[in-house]
Amino acid sequence: MTRYIIRRGIQSFFLIWISTLIAFTIYQAAPGGPIQFLDDDPKSTTADVDRLKLAYGLNRSIPVQYLTWLTGEDWLPKNETWRSGRCMAEPDRCGKGVLRLDFGRSFYFKGQPAIDVITERIPATFTLALASLILSVVGGVPLGVYAAIRRGRLPDHIIRVSTVLVNTVPHWWLGLLLLIILGGYLGLVPLSGMYTVGDGSLLDRLHHLILPATVGAIGGWIGFSRILRFEMLEVLNQDYVRTARAKGLTEKAVVWRHVLRNAIMPFVTGLSGIFLLALSGSVLFETVFSWPGMGRLFITAVNARDFPVMMALFVIGSFLGILGVLMVDILYSIVDPRVRYDITK
Amino acid sequence: MNKKHLLLALLIIAVSGVLAACGASPTTEPAPAVQQEPTQQEPAAKEEAPAEPTEAPTEAPVVVEPAEATPAVDESAAAKAGELQGGVTVTSDEDVTTLRTHYGGEYRDVSTSDAVSFHPYQTTDTASSGYQGMVYTGALLRLDEKTLDYIPNMAESYSISDDGLTFTFNLRKDMKWSDGEPITAQDFQWTYDQVIKPENEFPYLSQLDFITSYKALDDYTLEIKIDEIYAPALGQMSGLITPLPKHIWENLDWSDPEKNPEINSPSVVSGPYKLREWKRDQYVIFDANDNYWYKGRPNIDSQILEIVPDSDIAYQKMKSGESDTGVITPENLEEARHLDNVTVYEWWPAAAIWTYIGLNMREGFATHDINVRHAINYAIDKQTLTDEVMLGQGKRLCSIYPETSWVYNPDVPCYEYNPDKAIELFQEAGYTYQDGKMLDKDGQQLTLKFIYGPNTSKTAELIAVTVQDYLRKVGVEANIEALEWASFLDATNAVEPTWDMYIGSWRATIEPHIMYTIWAEENIPELNSVAYINKDMEALFKEAGKTYDTEFRKEKYQEIQKIIADDSPYVFLYYRKAWSGQNNRIKGIEPTALGIGWNQEDWYIEEQP
Repeated sequence: MTRYIIRRGIQSFFLIWISTLIAFTIYQAAPGGPIQFLDDDPKSTTADVDRLKLAYGLNRSIPVQYLTWLTGEDWLPKNETWRSGRCMAEPDRCGKGVLRLDFGRSFYFKGQPAIDVITERIPATFTLALASLILSVVGGVPLGVYAAIRRGRLPDHIIRVSTVLVNTVPHWWLGLLLLIILGGYLGLVPLSGMYTVGDGSLLDRLHHLILPATVGAIGGWIGFSRILRFEMLEVLNQDYVRTARAKGLTEKAVVWRHVLRNAIMPFVTGLSGIFLLALSGSVLFETVFSWPGMGRLFITAVNARDFPVMMALFVIGSFLGILGVLMVDILYSIVDPRVRYDITK
Repeated sequence: MNKKHLLLALLIIAVSGVLAACGASPTTEPAPAVQQEPTQQEPAAKEEAPAEPTEAPTEAPVVVEPAEATPAVDESAAAKAGELQGGVTVTSDEDVTTLRTHYGGEYRDVSTSDAVSFHPYQTTDTASSGYQGMVYTGALLRLDEKTLDYIPNMAESYSISDDGLTFTFNLRKDMKWSDGEPITAQDFQWTYDQVIKPENEFPYLSQLDFITSYKALDDYTLEIKIDEIYAPALGQMSGLITPLPKHIWENLDWSDPEKNPEINSPSVVSGPYKLREWKRDQYVIFDANDNYWYKGRPNIDSQILEIVPDSDIAYQKMKSGESDTGVITPENLEEARHLDNVTVYEWWPAAAIWTYIGLNMREGFATHDINVRHAINYAIDKQTLTDEVMLGQGKRLCSIYPETSWVYNPDVPCYEYNPDKAIELFQEAGYTYQDGKMLDKDGQQLTLKFIYGPNTSKTAELIAVTVQDYLRKVGVEANIEALEWASFLDATNAVEPTWDMYIGSWRATIEPHIMYTIWAEENIPELNSVAYINKDMEALFKEAGKTYDTEFRKEKYQEIQKIIADDSPYVFLYYRKAWSGQNNRIKGIEPTALGIGWNQEDWYIEEQP
C-alpha cells in the first residue's frame, strides 16, 4: 500500500505540473490582465499603468513569468527581464516559487499571500461541500434502494421521473428560487451568510446551512439513486440473493446486508467525483447563498485576472482532486477485500 | 487497476478544470451583478474622481445605485471652482463642535462586493473606498450639498496667493485621531511624502503631477504650490491626500499587509467610525468614533455591512427587513416604491452616469464621414429609446455635460428623430438608397459592426437591438456583437479596432474640466476610443483650464459642447437618475445632487411602533 501511495504521489506530481503549465497558458491568453481596469480610468495615465506593470513583473515574457511562478525569482539575474519591480526594489519581496511552497502575492488583494487568501476561505467551502455530500448520501441511498426493490412500480417511476425533472433546471437557479420563497416570503431560512452576525451558535449555523446544503445535495440524490438502483437490480438477480431468500432471511436483511453491500462498490467510486463536483458547483452556490468560500474567490480572481490566486486555486484544486481519488482507492480496499494494491509487486 | 485510476484521476482533473472554467463564465455574471452602479460616494483618495468609467464591471450599466452610504464630508466629485480667484481668503463660520443628539442603534447595510484593503493608496475599487471613507477622512474642503461649491471642511480657512499658484490651508485645531492624538498638517505632509514615492505603487500617482510642493509650515498650516494656473486645482488638492496617522504608521511598512497590520485592520482612525471586525466576503462591523472631529460621533452606534453578492437576494433582504437597505434594480424599482417598510429616495445626481454610442472616427470606417455620423444620429429615435430602456429613470442627453452641470449648454444640435433626413445624409455621403437598402459605391449594403459589453448587460442588449432596428429602417445593417467585459475593453481600447460603433457610459464630473481627458488626442485609444481629434476643441479646453474666471470658463465649455455635438463622435443617449431604498426606521435622510450619503453621520434610527 505504501509503495502504491508513493508511486501515485510521483505520478500526481507530474500530472499537476503539466496541468499548471496548461492552466498558466490559458489564463495568460485570456483577454485583459490584472491592471486592465486602469486603461479606462481617466484618473490613471499610461505612465501609471507602465509603472504598475513593472512592479508586478507583468512586463516580462510569459515563459519568464511562469518560470518565476514555479521556481521563484531570487536566483535569477538582477534585471527587469527576469525580476519583478518589487523584487528589484526589495530583495525580501522576491517570490520564492511554488516549488518552495510560495504561491506569490495576490495582485487584487494588494499584497496578501495568495495562499492566505485561499486558506481563509477553505473552511466555508468544505462545510458546505461536506454537508451536501452527507445529505446526498442520506437522501440518495434510500431513494435508490427503494426504487430498485419497487422496480417497475409506481414509486420507481415517481423517483425516476422526478429526479430527471429536477435535473433539468440549473441547481443554482433552483436555489435562488427556494431562497426567495422560503427566505424572502416565508421567512423560514435566513437569506444570506454562514451565520447571523454576532450570533454564530451551532444552531444558528445549521439554520444557515440547511438550504444551501440541501440544494447542493440535489445533484447527489439524482446521481446516487440512479447508480444505486442500477447496481441493486444487478445484484438482486444474483444467485446468492436467491439463496439468502431461500434460507428464510427477512427481506430487510437481504436488501440491506447482502444486496446493498455488494451494490455499493461503484457508488464509492462516484463519491470522490461528487465531492469534486460539489466543490466546483460551489462557484455558483456560493454566490447565490452569499457563502464566503473558494468558489466566490475564484470568480473574483478570474474577473480581476489575479494570476497568483488563480494559479494557487488551480494547484490546490488539482491536489485535492488527486487526494480524493487516492482516498477512494483506500476506501475500496476496506469495502471490498478483493481489492489490494500491494499484492505482489 | 492502476492504469484505470490514473485515467480516472486525469479525467477528474480535466473535468474539474473544465467545470472550474465553466463555472467561471456563467458566474462572471453574478460578478457584474456586482454591477450595481457603485455607491456614488467616493472618499477622499478618490475624491476628485473624474469620469468614472461606468464601463467597469463593477459599474456596468445594468443596475443602479445600491444604497451604500459613506460619510459625506469626505465626498465630492470635483471642483466647481466657484467664484474662486487669485488673492482670496475664505474662512468657515460653520459650527463643528455642537454634538449630535440622536445616538443609538445599529444600521444594517448590504453590499454586493467586499473591499480589498483599507489602504487608501493601493485600491481602485469603490467598495474599498467606501470602507476607507468610514475610517479615514481627509477632505480639506468639501462640496456644499446645495450649491456644489467648495467650502472649508478640515481646513478652517484657506487662501490663494495673488498669482493663483500658492494655496494655504489652515487646519482646525481640535481635530483628533481616535486615540486622542491631534490630527496635524504633519500627518498630511508625511502621507503625501510616502504617496509620491514611485515604489509605493499608488495607482493614481499621475494625479499628483500638477503639485510642485506640498509642505506643512507648522502643525496647522499646509502650503501647496502648483506651477501654472489649473482651474480644477483647488478641488483636486482639497481631497487628494487622506492623512494616515504618522505616529502609528511611521515605523510600519507602507505596502506589505504581512508586516503592517494597520493596512487591513486600522486601529487609529480619523473618520466617523472605527473598525470592529472584518470577515472577508462575509461582513464588516464599524463602531462610532467618539473622537470624530465633525460634530462628534455619528448618531448611529454601529454599522454592519453584509456582503451579499447576488443583487436579487440583496433586494430581498431589504424587503424582508433583514437589512435596512438593499439593491434595487430598475426592474424592482416600481415594486420597491410600494413596499410598506421601505422608503425609496430618488435624485438626479450631479455626477450623473450617461450612456452613448461611440462612432469610430478612424479613416477607413464609414463613420469617419461626418455625414454618416449625422445620419446615424438622425436615424435613431433617442427619446423613445430612453423611455423604453430606462423606463422613466433616464433623461435625454444632447451634449457632453448633462443638464445638472453648471456649464450645460442647452443650445446644441440634438438630432431629433428624422429618418428621411438620415437617408438624405447617407446619400450625401455617397451611398445610394435602393429597395430599402443603403448601398455603397460597390453596391454592397452598408453594414456596421456594433459591439457592447459585458454580454450580460440587459440594458446594453436592449439598446443594441433597438438601435439595430432603427438603422434597419434606413437600410443600414448593424451586426451586433456582445462581448465579455475584458474582451470588450480590449476591443474598444485596441489601437486598430474593427468595430464601427460601441455602447459606453461615463460618469459626469462636477468639475467640467476633468472630462477633457476623454476627448484628448493623447488619450487615443484608451479613453478616447473613437479617436476623435479636434485641435480647436482641445485649445478651448486648455484655455478654460488655465483660469479661475468662472464666467470665462463657462463660455468656453459651452463652445466646446457645441463643437463636439456638431462633430458627433458619439450619439448621446441619456443620463441616469439615482435611487436608494432605506427602511422607514432610518430618519434624517436628505438626498441632494451629491447623493444620499453626504449627511450619513446625521442619520438616526427611530424604531417603528
